[in-house]
Amino acid sequence: MNAPRMVGFVLGGLVAVAALLAPLVLSGSQLTIYVLLGTAAMVTVGVSLLMGYAGQVSLGQAAFYAIGGYTAGLMGVHGLPTVAGLVCAPLVAGLLAALVGIPIMRLRGHYLAFATLAFQLILLSVVGQLEVLGGDIGLQGIPRLGIGSAQLSNTQSYAWLTWAATALVLLIARNVITSRAGRGLRALATSEIAAESSGVPVARYKLAVFALSAAFAGLAGGIYAFFLGYIAPGSFPVLLSFEFVVMAVVGGLGTIWGPVVGAAVITVLVQVLNSLGTEPGMPPYASSVFSYAVYALLLVLTLLFLPRGLLPTATEWVRRALRGREPPAAGDRPAAAVPTGDASGSPAR
Amino acid sequence: MLDVRQVSRSFGGVFAVRDVTLSVADGELRGIIGPNGAGKSTLFNLVSGHLQPDGGTVRYRGARLERRSPHRRARDGIAIVFQGARIFRRMTAVENVMVGAHGHTRCGFVAGALRLPGQHREERAIRDRAWEALEQVGLTAWAHREAESLPLGQQRQLQVARALCGEPRLLLLDEPASGLRAAEREALAALVAELHAGGLTMLLIEHDVGFVTRLADRVTVLDLGEVIAEGTPEEIGRDERVITAYLGDGAGGDRRA
Repeated sequence: MNAPRMVGFVLGGLVAVAALLAPLVLSGSQLTIYVLLGTAAMVTVGVSLLMGYAGQVSLGQAAFYAIGGYTAGLMGVHGLPTVAGLVCAPLVAGLLAALVGIPIMRLRGHYLAFATLAFQLILLSVVGQLEVLGGDIGLQGIPRLGIGSAQLSNTQSYAWLTWAATALVLLIARNVITSRAGRGLRALATSEIAAESSGVPVARYKLAVFALSAAFAGLAGGIYAFFLGYIAPGSFPVLLSFEFVVMAVVGGLGTIWGPVVGAAVITVLVQVLNSLGTEPGMPPYASSVFSYAVYALLLVLTLLFLPRGLLPTATEWVRRALRGREPPAAGDRPAAAVPTGDASGSPAR
Repeated sequence: MLDVRQVSRSFGGVFAVRDVTLSVADGELRGIIGPNGAGKSTLFNLVSGHLQPDGGTVRYRGARLERRSPHRRARDGIAIVFQGARIFRRMTAVENVMVGAHGHTRCGFVAGALRLPGQHREERAIRDRAWEALEQVGLTAWAHREAESLPLGQQRQLQVARALCGEPRLLLLDEPASGLRAAEREALAALVAELHAGGLTMLLIEHDVGFVTRLADRVTVLDLGEVIAEGTPEEIGRDERVITAYLGDGAGGDRRA
């Protein structure tokens, strides 16, 4: 293993351990942020797979977050085992994405972006009309997650659940990307024609990655529903879909860990600005202005100054620093057998 | 191996390819030449599967091919080297080549995500095969470079390696020499000749007449979408209609071998 990868492993491990221990010291409201950060990271990992690796844009990822939330919530409200709800959340989201994807994944670029956005808008208004889903008022009284009589009642346990689910999502994403299927996805991002002629079933692969990213969002939605105990169409605004895209871009598209970085930076920043906006003396619109402004500003600044995102840029610095200490050999590019793409090239779009 | 019969394809009422018939035998290296707009690329796309013919049949190893999707064709042993540099960005050279094995390997998303037992073995087999293909084109030293950082000549060879990784029976080359410098062109010619000696059937579409006539067993000449001559390179060189087509067009006439 070469030095940069080693540093990556150590850092990744430290972050994972720190995140695992964090719930022990965080306060109640901080734990809530922790859970929201984790669920956002799960969704964003899917966005990174879809946009960064496979080159397909989705501006409707919050729709699948909602589908996961409603699946879990509805099953819980009707007295079904909550664990089954949590398992079904990603499955239903993935399945619906596969169905919706059959027509819309034939579209490319802006058209696909608009179609996914439209899907979310349609979904939200349909959910708002359906009495069984609680309409615009939403689904209330979702039970806490539990097996039999044992319940996850405190916030801390949800934090750990989120940690485990995020780890699972990261592991699956990494395994997929470094597999044969992942190579096919990365190939079709550059040239669908060349990929297809190399034997990659392009249409099927695009559908599969869309479904997978939706499943990640669905899992996150399920956790969110059990954690808050209440969801409504208003919990999943279009702005949330944009937020996931911004997180993915800021963290680094086409990387596995970038989404976690992006989700962390944006969630924390938004929370800080939110509390600043609600300080006494601030005008009532301050907090919403702050949040919109932050997404916009971060996106613009990232695209201008760190077009590859925070994580790839930081990795490059580390790599250069390490290389500076060693005698530079010709062609000493790391011979990474398992390229996570975490320091290579620019975003696919 | 490949049997194209009476194939036509028009765009907006204009025939790009009209009643083209050609038959490529096992192990043959067939050259397709013609001036600009002769229909070479259309014919290529009809065989690669990126276009469907309006009429006529394309048979490959005896079976009809017209409606088969490009990825099925790849699985069935048809590999392609595209014009220009159709390499995959943000992937290393060896990864690019490994994509070429897609057609005859199986592990999908589930096997990859869960790291099922067969996955590891297959992955190793793909990697080994890719290394062999890189060795064959002489690019092992570049294996772990970003593919897009390679010079154009090497990118073209990388495409050949990617095609070879799929263990093809029929290799289609679309203007592989275009844009290459003399030395790169020579290296490519040597590689094609070596593959030919190894018994691979190839269809070589090329604007550069000299490149084709010195490599091909037989040459088909297209002009305005129709076959105007077919024969050995020597026969083609003497053909009045070919000379007229080229001189009349003004392209490539002086580059005749």
